[in-house]
Amino acid sequence: MEITQILFWFLSALAVVAAVGVVLSKSPIYSVLWLIVVFFSISGHYILMNAQFLAIVNIIVYAGAIMVLFLFVIMMMNLNAEAEPAKNIYLKIAGVIAGMCLMIVFVAALAQSADIKVPIAKGTDIGLIKNLGKALFTTYVIPFEISSVLFLSAMVGAVVIGKKEQ
Amino acid sequence: MSAIILSAIWGVVMMFGGVFFKKASVPKYWAIAGLIIILAANILEFLGWKFFNIDTKGMLRFDNFGLHFNTVAFFCTLIYFLLNGRDIEKVGKHVSEYFALIFFVLCGVAIASSFKSLLMLFLGIEIMSIPLYILTGSDKPNLKSNEASLKYFLMGAFSTGIMLMGIAFLYGGNSAGSFNIDMMRLGYGYLPDMIAVGLVLLVVSMSFKVSAAPFHFWAPDVYDGAPTVFTSFMATIVKVAGFIAFIRLFQSSFGTMQSQWQMLIVIITAATLLIGNLTAVFQQSVKRMLAYSSIAQAGFMLLALFALNDTAKEGLILYSAAYSLATIGLFAILVRMKDYTIEGFNGLGKTQPVLALTATIFLLSLTGIPLTAGFTAKFYMLLAAVKNGHQFWLVILAVLCAAISAYYYFKVIQAMYFKEPAEDTGHQMDVPPSFKWLLIFTAAIIIILGIVPGLVIDWLYY
Repeated sequence: MEITQILFWFLSALAVVAAVGVVLSKSPIYSVLWLIVVFFSISGHYILMNAQFLAIVNIIVYAGAIMVLFLFVIMMMNLNAEAEPAKNIYLKIAGVIAGMCLMIVFVAALAQSADIKVPIAKGTDIGLIKNLGKALFTTYVIPFEISSVLFLSAMVGAVVIGKKEQ
Repeated sequence: MSAIILSAIWGVVMMFGGVFFKKASVPKYWAIAGLIIILAANILEFLGWKFFNIDTKGMLRFDNFGLHFNTVAFFCTLIYFLLNGRDIEKVGKHVSEYFALIFFVLCGVAIASSFKSLLMLFLGIEIMSIPLYILTGSDKPNLKSNEASLKYFLMGAFSTGIMLMGIAFLYGGNSAGSFNIDMMRLGYGYLPDMIAVGLVLLVVSMSFKVSAAPFHFWAPDVYDGAPTVFTSFMATIVKVAGFIAFIRLFQSSFGTMQSQWQMLIVIITAATLLIGNLTAVFQQSVKRMLAYSSIAQAGFMLLALFALNDTAKEGLILYSAAYSLATIGLFAILVRMKDYTIEGFNGLGKTQPVLALTATIFLLSLTGIPLTAGFTAKFYMLLAAVKNGHQFWLVILAVLCAAISAYYYFKVIQAMYFKEPAEDTGHQMDVPPSFKWLLIFTAAIIIILGIVPGLVIDWLYY
């Protein structure tokens, strides 16, 4: 096995284990910490695909800013295991069955499409800042500009919700 | 294009207007003026005078269908502003921000009616949804409004996640490696598994956005909890825009494989029709009844997706106009009532004859009584479904459900005309003559569209 293959399998295993950890942890703080591990391993995948910029942004924005926000919210809400409402056992069983069905469908779809030529980013330089910027401001300039409307509306909304009502 | 750009700009104008407008009654006039400009620009673009010549790299395509739908949607919004402008002022302190958010939603509507790329579909749907989460929670002291907003936000975010997952599957599964829905035209063969999974996930998330049956659970709570003026906007213009996006997506990328996914839509349609109509029967509050009725009407609009032919497109435009106008009118009357229960309407025919008469016309149109726009719209939908030639029982079910809907719509009419008003009715509401004339105007449009549906439909082939 080449070194990249070993890295790939290691990062994939890490991502899956950490994701399971997010779901299974009793304490929300541990969940958030596991989530940071997930983000780091996904950033590792980005680097393997030669997308450094995406990897760095993923770490700065998700593992950095958003996780800190998460932690703040959890601390402010003061969540602990006792405050958690008891869940209905039937709901749990139904959830497990539904989730398993979805997983079977996904796995089957992926397994049977093994021969489809999936576009692979391997060996391209699209993930570098220069090329990414070029693509963003030429081919994808319309979605890029229009997403500013989305963020603006979210900002207006945050102010409307957050402002004190006299 | 002009609609997208101008409505985004006007949203910014309204946003900054909040600093300069000292009186709460000013933003309304600015909003109406802006909307008239956007409507005019859109009509001019439809007639061939483009103000913005932008190369969208195949992300957006402005065809007759989309532009014509924009005209209908903006016209309904204009009626909505004119009828409800004063009630929007009463919701809270940030009046110009509410209008700004509504203009951002309109920008999303214009994107949803013209997208050619899954990327734009996602952006359009999100631009429509995010301002709505906020408008739902704009009545901050009201706990129900807060709850509705949070519920809507969480469920909406989840359904967006499902949509992105579906888009990822579609992107991975098509050999073109493109987000463009024309590029992934799939031909007549067998639906590959990965594409099929992506398609199912997209159906789920879009059904959520238009509140179709197994994914409708958020709708009654959100529509009930939100301030009534904004419920009116959400349940009409935004919902029909969701349908336009739905039909655009499925016609261009999956249209040729319809036989393979049609059963899915049939099940969703049948469930939506049945659940919407049967639960609406048991509602005591008119606001909640209208929420369920909007689910039931969504069932009828889903018939267009089932049929997927030219008649369906014509019918969907007509249905958008008929359903939006009637529901906006009803909600405008409901906002001014003090008591939202059906008993609250008792004797309205005596105390407020004009309001009662127009409300009757709106209700008749929603039921689908001949000579109203609702009848022709339903007729076109059923015709489209018959022309499709499969699953004839769905048409029979739809007709039966329309008959059930007569029961709960007529209950309100009966309360207005055949019940005595209580002593302390609260019908002494503030109804200026302009409001009455506007209601009469709206009702007149509904009747005219019922007699000459070509007024709306013929423009599709302009």
